[in-house]
Amino acid sequence: MEVNGTLIWYYNICKREVWLMSRNIVPDQHNENIDLGKFLHENSFSRKKKEISFGSVKFDVILDTKEKLVIGETKKSSRYEEASKWQMIFYLKTLRDAGIYAEGVMLYPEEKRRDEVLLDSSSLKMLNEMVNEINLIMEKEEPPKAQKCKYCKNCGYFEYCYA
Amino acid sequence: MKKDIYIFNGGRLVRKDNTLLFESVEGKKYIPVNNIESIYIFGEVDINKSLLEFLCTNEIVLHFYNYYEYYVGSFYPRECLNSGFVTLRQSEFYIDYVKRLFIAKQFINGSAKNIIQVLRYYNSRNADLSQEIEEILQTLELLNSQETIEQLMAIEGNIREKYYKCFNKIISDKAFTYTSRSKRPPKDKINSLISFGNSILYTIVLSQIYQTNLDPRIGYLHSTNNRRFSLNLDLAEIFKPIIVDRSIFSVINKKIITSKDFNKDLGGIILKDEGRMKFVKELNDKLETTIKHPSLENKVSYKRLIRLEAYKLQKHITEGEVYEPFIARW
Ligand code: SF4
Repeated sequence: MEVNGTLIWYYNICKREVWLMSRNIVPDQHNENIDLGKFLHENSFSRKKKEISFGSVKFDVILDTKEKLVIGETKKSSRYEEASKWQMIFYLKTLRDAGIYAEGVMLYPEEKRRDEVLLDSSSLKMLNEMVNEINLIMEKEEPPKAQKCKYCKNCGYFEYCYA
Repeated sequence: MKKDIYIFNGGRLVRKDNTLLFESVEGKKYIPVNNIESIYIFGEVDINKSLLEFLCTNEIVLHFYNYYEYYVGSFYPRECLNSGFVTLRQSEFYIDYVKRLFIAKQFINGSAKNIIQVLRYYNSRNADLSQEIEEILQTLELLNSQETIEQLMAIEGNIREKYYKCFNKIISDKAFTYTSRSKRPPKDKINSLISFGNSILYTIVLSQIYQTNLDPRIGYLHSTNNRRFSLNLDLAEIFKPIIVDRSIFSVINKKIITSKDFNKDLGGIILKDEGRMKFVKELNDKLETTIKHPSLENKVSYKRLIRLEAYKLQKHITEGEVYEPFIARW
């Protein structure tokens, strides 16, 4: 399985999720308490005109000047801040590989916050390390053991992990 | 939590735009599709391909029963949660006899321990069952040293026979006396309830397995047979005493079901529709009852416990987390 934006997202939430997803062991989709559904819904919700879509994830094209493109993502809360940021960086890299230079911005209107996301040499280095680690996790025969973290409570794998 | 639908009347079940419609002499009934997990059909119901396609997209399992033999079969839409990895592992644990034997033992272990919990409960109330409990515990001790599935089956048969005899001390109504186990057809009322309850439980477990990555055709205690589901029979063993048998005791002891609810037919004793409805209601209430779960930190229903049991088994085969069966605490 090739590393994609979704795996980058999961990696930053829980490494165990990466392995489970890679084996097609999908979370409980009927459980209303889970955030995954919300995450996908929030992102696949069809917005106005300009948007860039990567599979089920869509970004707004915020500003398109001659030399750069800014893609933005609006979030209800900063709960999954790190995961969203790295996912955005991954997509910025995908765009760059295609010859498109872009910058990102995460918007949290309810928290009156706005974070710039840049693809610079340090974030690129970290992203590459992440991709390597994700590949290592996926190669393992068994998944990393479940470890209680702040994401467990709303995770679609909760019952699976702790049954 | 998604609901199960039970259809006892005859009629036609069709797709109507984005809902299900059941038409019978009593009128039309619309059933919203997004809140259903499984449909259980007892009556003479007509269905068509477009309905099956619709159920398939909505991942709804359909179970059919007939009047005499109870379970007919299921429409198990192509697996929605397919994981080649899990299927391979599941087969590996079947082919490797040592691994298979371990899982099979755990099912019998769970079943027997839940039987003992049920007996202990009644022992503490009005029935003297200490002798029987002792005997079952002794038989269970032999389990670990057994080396074949057939031997395990014999132990389980032995325990079950002792257990069913205890029913006569738990049930006060003499019309429901148990003498020996008879299946096709059941020869008395108590056998009829046991068979009916078990066959419903098998399909309930099947619907829960559908929500996991496990393949229901690969069982460990009940041998795998390409034509039949067997993993649901395995997992059901653990839950029969605490779900089916307890429901039997309550419908009889509370006089919800009486002799009038049975028909004599083709040399057997069969529950009438009315009786089936009452029993299914009792089973459902039991399945929706919630208990506190030790590791999940919140309450879960018995129906959910079945799903969790399947998850535990899945983790046993994919993550080396030793499978321990669920044992009721009272
Ligand atoms: S429940 Fe917790 S440990 Fe399990 S996958 Fe989700 S976040 Fe990871």
